[in-house]
Amino acid sequence: MKPLKLALLIAASLGTSISVHADEISDLKAEFLQMRADYEQRIEQLEQRLAQAEVTTNEVKTEVASVKATPSPTATTRNNNSFNPAISMVLNGQFSNYSESPDNYELSGFALQGEGGLAPEGLSLGESEITMSASIDQLLFGQATIALHDDAGTTEVGIEEAFIQTLGLSNGITVRAGRFYSPMGYLNEKHIHAWNFADAPLIYRGLFGNQLTTDGVKFSYLLPTDQMIELGGTVGSGDQHPGAGTNSGIGDWLIYARTGGDIGTNHSWQASASHWQSSPKDREYAGGHNHGGDAGADPVLFNGDTDISNVSLIYKWAPNGNFKQKNITLLGEYFYLNEDGQLNNSTELAQYDAKQYGGFVEGIYQFAPRWRTGARYDWLGSKLRASDDELLTDADLDFSGFHPQRYSLMLEWLPSEFSRVRAQVNHDKSSRNDDTQLFLQYTVSIGAHGAHSF
Amino acid sequence: MRFLFIIVFLSVFSATVRADLTIFACEPEWASLSEELGGDKVSVFSATTGLQDPHYIQARPSLIAKARRADLLVCTGAELESGWLPLLQAKAGNSVIQTGASGYFMASNYVRLIDIPTSLDRSQGHIHAAGNPHIQTSPLNIMKVAQALSQRMQEIDRVNAVFYQQRFDDFNQRWQAAIDKWQQQAAPLKGVNVVVQHNSWGYLFDWLGLKKVAVLEAKPGVPPTVSDLNNTLNQLKTTPATMVIHAAYQPSKASDWLVDKTAITSVTLPFTIGGNEQSKDLFSLFDNTIQRLLDAAKQ
Repeated sequence: MKPLKLALLIAASLGTSISVHADEISDLKAEFLQMRADYEQRIEQLEQRLAQAEVTTNEVKTEVASVKATPSPTATTRNNNSFNPAISMVLNGQFSNYSESPDNYELSGFALQGEGGLAPEGLSLGESEITMSASIDQLLFGQATIALHDDAGTTEVGIEEAFIQTLGLSNGITVRAGRFYSPMGYLNEKHIHAWNFADAPLIYRGLFGNQLTTDGVKFSYLLPTDQMIELGGTVGSGDQHPGAGTNSGIGDWLIYARTGGDIGTNHSWQASASHWQSSPKDREYAGGHNHGGDAGADPVLFNGDTDISNVSLIYKWAPNGNFKQKNITLLGEYFYLNEDGQLNNSTELAQYDAKQYGGFVEGIYQFAPRWRTGARYDWLGSKLRASDDELLTDADLDFSGFHPQRYSLMLEWLPSEFSRVRAQVNHDKSSRNDDTQLFLQYTVSIGAHGAHSF
Repeated sequence: MRFLFIIVFLSVFSATVRADLTIFACEPEWASLSEELGGDKVSVFSATTGLQDPHYIQARPSLIAKARRADLLVCTGAELESGWLPLLQAKAGNSVIQTGASGYFMASNYVRLIDIPTSLDRSQGHIHAAGNPHIQTSPLNIMKVAQALSQRMQEIDRVNAVFYQQRFDDFNQRWQAAIDKWQQQAAPLKGVNVVVQHNSWGYLFDWLGLKKVAVLEAKPGVPPTVSDLNNTLNQLKTTPATMVIHAAYQPSKASDWLVDKTAITSVTLPFTIGGNEQSKDLFSLFDNTIQRLLDAAKQ
């Protein structure tokens, strides 16, 4: 029993001590709870302050953003010149060297007209062009290109183009009026400085005196298709070579169709066909620059009907479609002229029937961002018949059926998109006298950033 | 003639089956944004890819055909497309995409442009008078453009206005979240010194706090000369840089030269969608850009 008593005693004494401890614990507990409440309050306060700070930061952020978004007022004074048109100027000069005298240059089977001769030998200033363009109002856009060039000591001023054009009539329709390069072939609509060689293809030289222009109206319609298809036509005054003379109504007309697209991202192409027709009145022969104005007191004149047809094909390649680094351009065009009428001078008259045709192919390779090289081949033919051969001779037309040919090579260095230095060599068999020609040429553009078509 | 007529008839007929809004985007980033905001109510065409230099695009027949049928042009503006877009506008015979018309949207009009030159002279290289046009390198700019573009789409195509607004709200939410994520990821890039080949990354650097210490092209658009490169090299001796950056569409020649001469790491950034395989849309474009920068910073 003793041990039990002892145990009880111990238990009792322990019990009191436990109860004493329990009091202390509840005190502690209360204290702890108090502390927790304190801390929770403090944390809550801190959280609130943090949230507030965050809101302010965000507010500042959005404020900063909105300040950034509103464009700072620019200090421009609105003078009367803020509506000035975009002005750009093309300057060029060249050195030309020929193995034959350029004064004796002839293109067998064709009569050279207008600018159709060779550039002067030695150093010469080429054509300087000034182009101005701007929107006219909500409907129209206007553009003019004035060309200045020296001819035998006097400066000639020419209006290359001066036209107005509709600003998106909608439904793919565009109307243009004034003087413009006719939509015939591919190169014809581009300015000479945008061509790939220093001189015109022989067929352009032979048929148009370098380029065909229209004084009149152009209409074009772009079909709503994925493949680009454009149909159009022009009507003109009829006095632009190879047309001649004045007309009370429509003097020349042209229809054309053009289509093109992409093949993958690397290849793109365009094909076109066109047909031009006119009835020249008293078109003069032998008035070309190369003959130094010795057209004679009794020039040969042509009256009749002239029509010209053209097909052209252009293909461009660039890896990934990125033209900046590397690209290839292949271009081919063919023209066929058919003429029927009379030749006459003051004393004689002859029936005249002519076919003049030819084309060119060229390939351009831009092998580095600033370097291009290219080759071109020209080929012409003619079949001229007159009831009196003497008039053909007087008109400087070689009716022997000789086929002129020309081979050209060029190398270009383009320091930037605004400048170009070009070297070109031709082996020219325009007539029976073979000629080797060398051109060194610079072409630069200043002013407004021009955009070049495909 | 009859054959031609049939072709014309078929193509006109097939062209009438299309989405409510036809969008012509000049660059892939705007094509992607238009798709995000327009969903299946829009059909989007991108005139360029991520591997093409947008300064030098040809006004190809295919682009003219697309511009003719567009209801909305979405382009960068700030003269980036001045070598080809005006031609498309002139040839398309489309009144709604003319400058200032309802279908003419230039993204750079809705953000604050940086690097506006104080003097304009072509001897300084290919400079942009309006400022740096490469605005797509910062997602903050894209956010602003998205808002303006959505508004424009709602104005042009009122029938679907509610739909466009919903798409925008959704995009905006995802984009904000993505920006937060990118900013956290890119925290180690803050203050890192970099060299660029062409000065086209200003907006990205401003956003992430990267420091441009040198430009390899001494004059924009003009390939650097040997003396230009040597100048950069000397500059890097006093202020070393971690990496040299160029865009996927640019040749890496100048960057490679620098890698050869110094211990610098070369990074090719996609620049836009399609610049590399991983950059398929706006989100993956920035995922990939930041990943590539982080990888280079670690080396």
